[in-house]
Amino acid sequence: MYRSLNPTTKFVVAIAMAAIAFGVRGWVAPILVFATMFALIVAAGVTRRYVPYVLATSALLVSIMLINTFLYPDATDAIFQIGPFTATGTGLIAASQAALRVLAFATSVALFALTTRTDELVDDLERRGLGRRGAFVVGTAIGTVPRMLERAREIVDAQRSRGLNTEGGVLARFRGLLPLAGPLVLSALTEVEHRSMALEARAFTAPGRRTVLREYPDSAAQRALRWLLVVGSILLLIAAISGALWWVP
Amino acid sequence: MAVIATSGIGLATEELSFTYPDGTRALTSVSLEIPAGSRIAIIGQNGSGKSTLVRHFNGLLRATTGRVLVDGTPVGRRHVADLARLVGISFQNPDRQIFSGRVRAEVAFGARNVGLRGAALDQRVNGALEAVGLAQQADANPYDLGFSERKLLALASILAMGTPAIVLDEPTTGQDANGVQRVKDVIGQLAREGRTVVAISHDMAFVAEAFERVAVLRDGELVLDDTVNEAFGEDNWPILESTYLEPPLPARLGARLGLGSTPTTAAFVAALVARSGSVG
Amino acid sequence: MSLVLEGVTYRYAGAATKALQSVDLTLQPGRVVGLVGSNGSGKSTLCSCAVGLAPNAIGGTLDGRVTIDGLETSGTPMYKLVQHAGILFQDSATQITSGASSVWEEISFGPRNLSLPRNEVIDRTWRAIDALRLTEIVERDPSRLSGGQAQLVALAAVLALGPRYLVLDEPTSQLDPLGTRLVGETLAEAARATGVGILIAEHKTDLLAMLCDEIVVIASGKVVARGHAREVLADPSMHEWGVSAPADIALREAVAVAELEWQSEWL
Repeated sequence: MYRSLNPTTKFVVAIAMAAIAFGVRGWVAPILVFATMFALIVAAGVTRRYVPYVLATSALLVSIMLINTFLYPDATDAIFQIGPFTATGTGLIAASQAALRVLAFATSVALFALTTRTDELVDDLERRGLGRRGAFVVGTAIGTVPRMLERAREIVDAQRSRGLNTEGGVLARFRGLLPLAGPLVLSALTEVEHRSMALEARAFTAPGRRTVLREYPDSAAQRALRWLLVVGSILLLIAAISGALWWVP
Repeated sequence: MAVIATSGIGLATEELSFTYPDGTRALTSVSLEIPAGSRIAIIGQNGSGKSTLVRHFNGLLRATTGRVLVDGTPVGRRHVADLARLVGISFQNPDRQIFSGRVRAEVAFGARNVGLRGAALDQRVNGALEAVGLAQQADANPYDLGFSERKLLALASILAMGTPAIVLDEPTTGQDANGVQRVKDVIGQLAREGRTVVAISHDMAFVAEAFERVAVLRDGELVLDDTVNEAFGEDNWPILESTYLEPPLPARLGARLGLGSTPTTAAFVAALVARSGSVG
Repeated sequence: MSLVLEGVTYRYAGAATKALQSVDLTLQPGRVVGLVGSNGSGKSTLCSCAVGLAPNAIGGTLDGRVTIDGLETSGTPMYKLVQHAGILFQDSATQITSGASSVWEEISFGPRNLSLPRNEVIDRTWRAIDALRLTEIVERDPSRLSGGQAQLVALAAVLALGPRYLVLDEPTSQLDPLGTRLVGETLAEAARATGVGILIAEHKTDLLAMLCDEIVVIASGKVVARGHAREVLADPSMHEWGVSAPADIALREAVAVAELEWQSEWL
């Protein structure tokens, strides 16, 4: 059901939720965002495909937890000790909140990505006047990611096969940067060149509005929701920044 | 200049199965033995598991079940950087690895990683450049070279590592006739040095001419593993056909004329000569 | 009406040497012309010039003329040219351009870009699909197709623009034997069925021997030989130009060298 919402609505939801997750202090905001986004994911039946998103952020989550719990500056309320490292209550709270925000953010991105097809969004934005080039930029940016990841994998495989050490210490990893980044950047540039030629070959640069084959249903309710979200999140952020929300738990 | 004599090492898999993290079953119970110093081509359609298989030989992929042996020893958890000293893999697309501004530096990269320095390093680099015909372009920028030459450059950078086993992933794809000949010459040289050569290829004529053995993969399974003569012989045509592969023309014509198994042009002509000799 | 290159000399932007020198080539509808030569000989450049990508999209200097059904490429915008001459490259993945989630939508991309009426977009898309027998995969995700299928989808997408000429730059280079066969057979069929004129650059001379009426050999940017496909491929000078003979011709030559007789019924 969420899937059938207008693509722009889903887009606005994702952005508003992400902004609130990070903008408003305290627990309530990130918890609410995470809970709502997660509930919608479950309702849309894409929980299985949501897992990779969590896995992708897990490394970040773990380091957030560790760094904040053990290394929070000026915290004195020690809870336990591991070797030379002391965990503090303040640190743990800060860690949990930060981790929760990241999780909430990732979840709203996931909800969007799992329920919206890129070309739907691009088509809809174009209909609203984004313009062909803008639509292309958005569409390619999203579409390029999987291909770049695959390319990166190929590059890593090739260089490791030439003895590049990717399992060593910091210095080793640093020295490995050029052999990995070099081909990636070059292939990204070549890719852009080839893609733009391919687009020319499809008359992408023709003037005028592209034929619209499909209209994405929109409704007064969705329009109202979008306005509410945009205005609401802006107000919330202003209030949060100006300190008016100091009382939020 | 002394030829760097490297003897080869054997590679083997025992009931190797591999499943990707997303659940795709890429290899099922593949048991393949590649004796030291031999030349084997692995053929099959895309998706049959060829690339997946060879990535086990240098640790890029780890067996889900089964064993992979390099020089008789199970690979276990040995690091790729370690195994790279024994098994060099040259991948299909040179642009996924070229990063230096100079041909020579690019070739030296791998050799340096496996510990070569100074005179020994220079010797290897020069030897590799000679072998692929790029000695004159040692100081050029790799991107000033054409695609064929970049492919040969990528090959040179693996050759310079001096590994006793070499895997070539589609060495002739995108190559013109001169490039293909060059690759055949390199393989011949590697064979003379006793190094083990494994190649993945779609070019049946190239396979028949440059290799001793052929292994056919179909949907992750090893369905044929035999000498070139046998593999392209009439008895095995049904297997080849089952995965939409066609033996080279000399093999087909030779079978039709009752000349036995003649997978290469040379073999065909020899058989023809033999037959007309015995008649006249 | 034809696609004509007259005295075409081309230099890439910022390059010191000319990639093509005084190339003359004519492609007529319904004919299949093969283009062979070693890597770096100018095959790709010729393909780009033939459809106007050079100089319109990639810059560089073009002397001489390229006309497609009377339209001169220099000075005509690409979106007009592609409706007369389409091009297909080696890498199918890069040519799946629209970000579409179905093969059908990918193929409709070109006609949509031209702002054609809705019915015409739908019509053209289905015609291209039927011409290449892609009906069974119209719903599939284009990024999950095999190499051969992806090339056919890219081909359909180009055909949907309605060109009379098709230029193919090593279309089977990245494909496995099955993919090569699929694309090769489809091209042969398409040439016959749609009357499109095809210029195909390839290393696989066996494929060209099957498809082409005429073959043009290019070396160092110049045309060095041209003529009837089988005659050109049988010319021993091919080796100098980095072109390998098709398997049957190579066999014939080897038999002749061994001073034996080739029986014509053998092949």
